Amino acid sequence: MRCDPSVKVGALTLKNPVLTASGTFGYGLEFEPYFDISALGAICTKGLSLLPRIGNAPPRICETASGMLNAIGLANIGVEAFCTDKLPSLRERNVTVVANIFATSIEDFAALARRLDREQGIAAIEVNISCPNVDKGGLEFGVDPQMAAAVTSAVKKVTKLPVWVKLSPEAGRIAVIARACEEAGADALCAINTIRGLAIDVQTWKPRLSNRTGGLSGPALKPIAIRMVWEVAKAVKVPVIGIGGVTCAEDAIEFMLAGATAVQVGSANFRDPLAAHKIAQGIVDYCERRAIDPRELIGKALL
Amino acid sequence: MEPMHCGKPRPRQVVVPLLRRDSIGASHHVLTFDCEQPLEAAPGQFAMVRGAQWGESPFLPRPMSILTAGRRPSILVKVVGEGTRRLASSEPGELFTVHAPLGVGWAPCPEDRVPVLVAGGVGVCPLVFLARGLTEQGRRAIALYGGRSAGDLPLDDELAEVTDLRIATEDGSLGQLGRVTVLLESAIEETKGRLKVYACGPRAMMARVVEMCRAADAPCEVSLETIMGCGYGVCLGCAVPKVGGGYLYACSEGPCVDGHAIAWES
Repeated sequence: MRCDPSVKVGALTLKNPVLTASGTFGYGLEFEPYFDISALGAICTKGLSLLPRIGNAPPRICETASGMLNAIGLANIGVEAFCTDKLPSLRERNVTVVANIFATSIEDFAALARRLDREQGIAAIEVNISCPNVDKGGLEFGVDPQMAAAVTSAVKKVTKLPVWVKLSPEAGRIAVIARACEEAGADALCAINTIRGLAIDVQTWKPRLSNRTGGLSGPALKPIAIRMVWEVAKAVKVPVIGIGGVTCAEDAIEFMLAGATAVQVGSANFRDPLAAHKIAQGIVDYCERRAIDPRELIGKALL
Repeated sequence: MEPMHCGKPRPRQVVVPLLRRDSIGASHHVLTFDCEQPLEAAPGQFAMVRGAQWGESPFLPRPMSILTAGRRPSILVKVVGEGTRRLASSEPGELFTVHAPLGVGWAPCPEDRVPVLVAGGVGVCPLVFLARGLTEQGRRAIALYGGRSAGDLPLDDELAEVTDLRIATEDGSLGQLGRVTVLLESAIEETKGRLKVYACGPRAMMARVVEMCRAADAPCEVSLETIMGCGYGVCLGCAVPKVGGGYLYACSEGPCVDGHAIAWES
């Protein structure tokens, strides 16, 4: 049987449940030599800020057991350059684009959403309230339900686009934040961002990253991410998008069984530019073997 | 759809078996892979290499400068950590993912300048590839090769075949006693400053070479060695501070860059 891999995230229909996570897929065009990225469920752009950011001093990454730490510091070209230099090419290629936004104030989050709302070719806005690697504007929005709700409603007010909120695993109870965002109008919730970690060089006795701490990603993160997706999915009615250490189709299926409507592939893109493409195909193969559609997997392990 | 890599060979990731491992002493190894489709690469470009059976650790591929291209591409590995230790202990037949060619290779040498290659240790790899390319174009480079002692000079014979090779060791066990920069002083004099330097080696060596080239008003390209996550411009992990502020990305804007554009002091 041929399955229909499409999934619905609120009003938005995605070709399949595989997206690429912000900060691991550039602006999408970097993948052009490898495959047709319009075949993906969506791509989430590198986090966009109002002004360009150069990012943190190196070293910015280091490898850890079954994963890595990063403290890139949201280096990006800025929303204006994205709209002028990147978006037209993505539009021309019919790529489903989710614009990830980052700001240090509620006003700037709204300004970013207002700017993106004027553009054609953006499918949704993903609000990053969970970056662990910047001095301001990262975690403080993500760990306080009132702040998270305030950002969500400020963005909702100024755009017609679906608004997704990317949650932090560092909130004491992620379900509480998730519910606050849902009540404030979030159309979907993405979980999780990286968890802060620290690695120290035993030769130099110094942290391996110049930022000292960095966000842990990769398979090391996966069981925590699946537990959190499961908690969020039980707490809200809006769709949940699972993120955290997805490297193969089985990982993605695990997230869906835990309640995710779709998944985002992150660090796996670093070691294989075709990772997301292969995972999407793997989900189809799995579903065809079982004569089901991927939608039938969603939340099947929610007890 | 406009191809973004027109004129340049397209990078691709293939799974290929190791054909042979040639060990040079205990810490340097040349790994040669068996590629059905020849690898097209320019001198100075690199590959991201990872054992196909490594599981989830080490998680990331390793950036490795390309030594030779074609049906049997090769890399030079120096053991520095877990990933390179795994690479160095691999056996023929083992499968690897090889993602190549990546990055920007060496720029051509102007006709009116003598190409002078300055190598430190494992940094010799992209310079051997460059020297072979120059030889094919009928040009002969001067190569200056330095290391702590005679055992730290892998591929010195290969370099000698295609260049006018001069060696310096810090313990005097081979060639001139001292650092490679001593050899560069003479080369600048010998060429009356009409040289273009291509350097790859430890950071301190490259910084000093760039400084000497600035004083001699000579162009100097370096091949940067940094930690890399992806090798193709998406993780932004390989930032290198540049003169005037900001960063450049060694994987996509390099690894071969104008040495005068790097903020070495930072």
